[in-house]
Amino acid sequence: MTTTHHAMSRTSARACGTALLAAATLAITAIPARAATVTEVRVERTRPQNDKPATLRFLRENRDFLRGELDRLREKRVQRDGGATAIDPRFLAYRDMVAQVITERDSVTLAAAAQSQRELLSSVTQLGDLEAQLDQLDRTLAAQRSRLGILQNDFTGDQRTALAIVLSGVPQTTPLSQVAINLEDGSSVSVPLSDAQLDALRKGGAVQVFHGYVEPREQVIEVSLGTGQAASANAGYVTLEPARDRLTLLRLDLSTVRDEGAAAIHATTWLNDARVP
Amino acid sequence: MRNGSGSTNTRHASALRGGTAALALIFALACARPVAASDDAPVGARAGLEIATAAAQSWASDAVLIYLENDEALNPGGAATRWGYLFYSASGQKARGYSVRDGHVVTASNLDMKFEAPPVAAGWIDSDAAIAAAANEAGKVFKQDAGGQLSAMLLMRGAFDEEHPDRTTWTLVYTAPNQPSLFVVVDASAGKVRRTWRG
Repeated sequence: MTTTHHAMSRTSARACGTALLAAATLAITAIPARAATVTEVRVERTRPQNDKPATLRFLRENRDFLRGELDRLREKRVQRDGGATAIDPRFLAYRDMVAQVITERDSVTLAAAAQSQRELLSSVTQLGDLEAQLDQLDRTLAAQRSRLGILQNDFTGDQRTALAIVLSGVPQTTPLSQVAINLEDGSSVSVPLSDAQLDALRKGGAVQVFHGYVEPREQVIEVSLGTGQAASANAGYVTLEPARDRLTLLRLDLSTVRDEGAAAIHATTWLNDARVP
Repeated sequence: MRNGSGSTNTRHASALRGGTAALALIFALACARPVAASDDAPVGARAGLEIATAAAQSWASDAVLIYLENDEALNPGGAATRWGYLFYSASGQKARGYSVRDGHVVTASNLDMKFEAPPVAAGWIDSDAAIAAAANEAGKVFKQDAGGQLSAMLLMRGAFDEEHPDRTTWTLVYTAPNQPSLFVVVDASAGKVRRTWRG
């Protein structure tokens, strides 16, 4: 499998000639994308009402008794360990990885310069040089992939439950100046949209309006579209249950919105797949 | 004749009602959501700890568990279908509770009172072991004598154990009609009864 891939990339490289070097440089930094299962989410005009069962009843009914017990036995003196802790060796290794990346980038730059000067492959020796150069690029790609894998394991292995909300499209009739997001835990964010961001949305781009930790439970997210200084009252409500220890993405397509407000948003959700390829 | 006809109509109506009822029953059974074996099965207190902790960590990165209690009735083995977990964030100086049923957080809410208990120690025994320890001593006697029942069990640290206030303890509360409640404090590390009292 690896050999086939190796041969294919080599054949492709020969066909592409000089353009390969630039493409390879780009490919080093590219992260392979995986197909995600996209699910449509309903945006409702009114906030869904869910019955919340009572919790911690004994504590609430006996608060004075419990607080009294705590106060009676509370220790006044607190001792803390102020000692230093060892630095994680992984963080020390990152410096070496960065140095390797810089070295290999220099090699790629040199190879690109040499290739640009080569107008004609006039001898078998030069073909051999090109072969060696392509092998070097393959090794560079493999090393970079390995480094990316290390970083991804270190940082995505500790993924907590998180939510990212992105916008796409612009309302067909209503002018838009800001978007407000209210989460069920009381936190809220209001994002004014600049002309550049609106232009990006018109041209098919996306704008991230929220990225943060959320609780892994079913919850209602309120979305309001603002046309002036404040978000308008015509909010839409999306019910989501973010998966535990995963990044859930919610895309709000505003192109379906006319005069009816945020309830007309076309919403879709999917899970980010952060596995190392 | 009219009576006969009426009787026939009555029988027809009765049969129709019976048929309708049967159809309704079949329809209801067909439409009923299949209940998985795990739905609403009573579990120990530790069963919901992971999901509650994950939720609390999303709420506040310094959140620590300070208290838990059963949110639904306990069975004789110390299991309940829903447990409530209370976390405290020192940086936010707030407490937030999570009620967990069948591996899902069904309710999350901030505690509208000041309650600064210390974090419970790791390695606490589960509710089944705590109830077994209590049942061997005062709990069993109380239930036999007064027909009482275990109404609540709560885990916390820094209360109830006067000799070792830093201990994390389970407190089991038995109630009975016309009787003062019985409190049984169980060491959540050693699984031994430390204290009992009525009140």
